[in-house]
Amino acid sequence: MSIHAVSVNSVSKKFRLYHERNQSLKSAVLRRRRSVHEDFWALQDISFEVPEGSTFGLIGSNGSGKSTLLKCLARIYTPELGSITYKGRIAALLEVGSGFHPELSGRENIFLNGSILGMSRKEITRKFDEIVDFSGVEAFIDQPVKNYSSGMYVRLGFSVAINVAPDILVVDEVLAVGDAEFQDRCKQKFVQFREEGKTVILVSHAMDMVQDMCDQVAWLSHGKLVATGEARPTIASYLKSVEPQ
Amino acid sequence: MIQYFKDLLAARELLANLTLREVRGQYKRTIFGRLWSLLNPLATMLVYTIVFAFILRIQPDAGDPSGVDVFAVWLLCGLLPWAFFASVVQTGMGSIIANAGLVQKVYFPRIVLPLSLTGSIGINWLFEMAVLGVVLLFVGSFFLPWVPLVLVMMVLLAVYATGVALVLAIANVYFRDTQYLMGIVMQIWFYLTPVIYPVSLLKEPSESVGGLLGTPITVLDVYRLNPMERYVEIMRNLLYDNRWPAVEDMGYFVAIAFLSLAIGVVVFRRFENRMAELI
Repeated sequence: MSIHAVSVNSVSKKFRLYHERNQSLKSAVLRRRRSVHEDFWALQDISFEVPEGSTFGLIGSNGSGKSTLLKCLARIYTPELGSITYKGRIAALLEVGSGFHPELSGRENIFLNGSILGMSRKEITRKFDEIVDFSGVEAFIDQPVKNYSSGMYVRLGFSVAINVAPDILVVDEVLAVGDAEFQDRCKQKFVQFREEGKTVILVSHAMDMVQDMCDQVAWLSHGKLVATGEARPTIASYLKSVEPQ
Repeated sequence: MIQYFKDLLAARELLANLTLREVRGQYKRTIFGRLWSLLNPLATMLVYTIVFAFILRIQPDAGDPSGVDVFAVWLLCGLLPWAFFASVVQTGMGSIIANAGLVQKVYFPRIVLPLSLTGSIGINWLFEMAVLGVVLLFVGSFFLPWVPLVLVMMVLLAVYATGVALVLAIANVYFRDTQYLMGIVMQIWFYLTPVIYPVSLLKEPSESVGGLLGTPITVLDVYRLNPMERYVEIMRNLLYDNRWPAVEDMGYFVAIAFLSLAIGVVVFRRFENRMAELI
């Protein structure tokens, strides 16, 4: 597999740690600068490649920079240095039900949420039944989503997102939604994804799941890449490193 | 830059959907629904008419050549555009922060957020103007030949307001003072625009003061730098007087409108990258 779906080239991301958090004009004018800050590099010189059609995991302890990297991959953050190139359409699933309007019905929200995630109206219309079926909220599709139970809400959001059908799907820990039956269906959907030759990048703390699903993983620690490689050995060395001495 | 516009073009359905979200979501669970959009300017009109026409006795000239002489109608010709402008600027300014959850979780061209508000407020405005049109016909203003020009001018105001809103939306992400400051600025701006009084009232005091600081520039000249002043004049010429507006007023406003949008887009594009981490 020499074709790369995603290439991450020496990406670095900097955040500012504010000593005096001050988003006010007064301080800007008086001190001729916005605030006193220190740079914090959340990601430093990260490079790796995600082969096309693989399922790729990002692992690491809390604060290792996984989520920041994921947000860079999802184009929500722009890295200060380096670049990320994609081959194909990318969709990110960092939160389900983003942009749902509570007063609008499930039906209206499918169209709204779908277009936020980058689907065209035609596409949504074509997949509408599939989305509704998958979510299991047919009976309430014309009710405002504010009346949905939290489970229904999340399931509907997830169903829309999973049907975006991108070439590359970036997923945060959203798999842990819904009941056991729904989770099972999600897993099947990911298997189907893989069979269709799509690329999935996911972040999770559930190592058994990562091991189960991923071909390759990247292990991050304190904003630096420790290792990339086959899932099983990399996860094993990661688990070893976090074990109490 | 070209890629940016391509992305924007690709997001037109999203823009339409977000606009619809605002329009549909706005008056849900109200009994009067869309009527509220009319009741607001109507109430303002009533208050201003009582205060300025009956108590302070402000008398704008009758429409020339239309001959219409109704203060409330004269007022609305300026008030409705102003209300649209103020609303686009103020809600557009807060649009990024109001949608923080979305901005931090999904990628899409961020510019659609303020643009969708221009769209949804514009739909309300169109509705208000349609009602004003009926009233105008009723009081004897035959403005129908000017309808195409009025529509063009309405689009131009949207262009101008969007440009201002884009700059302020960015400024507000970096400095939250912006929204409070603009609350005051908009109030002052309203009184600096001839919505509730005719410009003619300013002629005499301006002449008595004469040139400012030894120059031939008068107070009135400075006053007329305000693009909204020109706009209100243009709309009153078309709707209330039924005549061609002054060419220099039109030219001035068109230039300012496009300049505003160009600056807005450039500033927005320049600073939008760090939005997600700042809000």
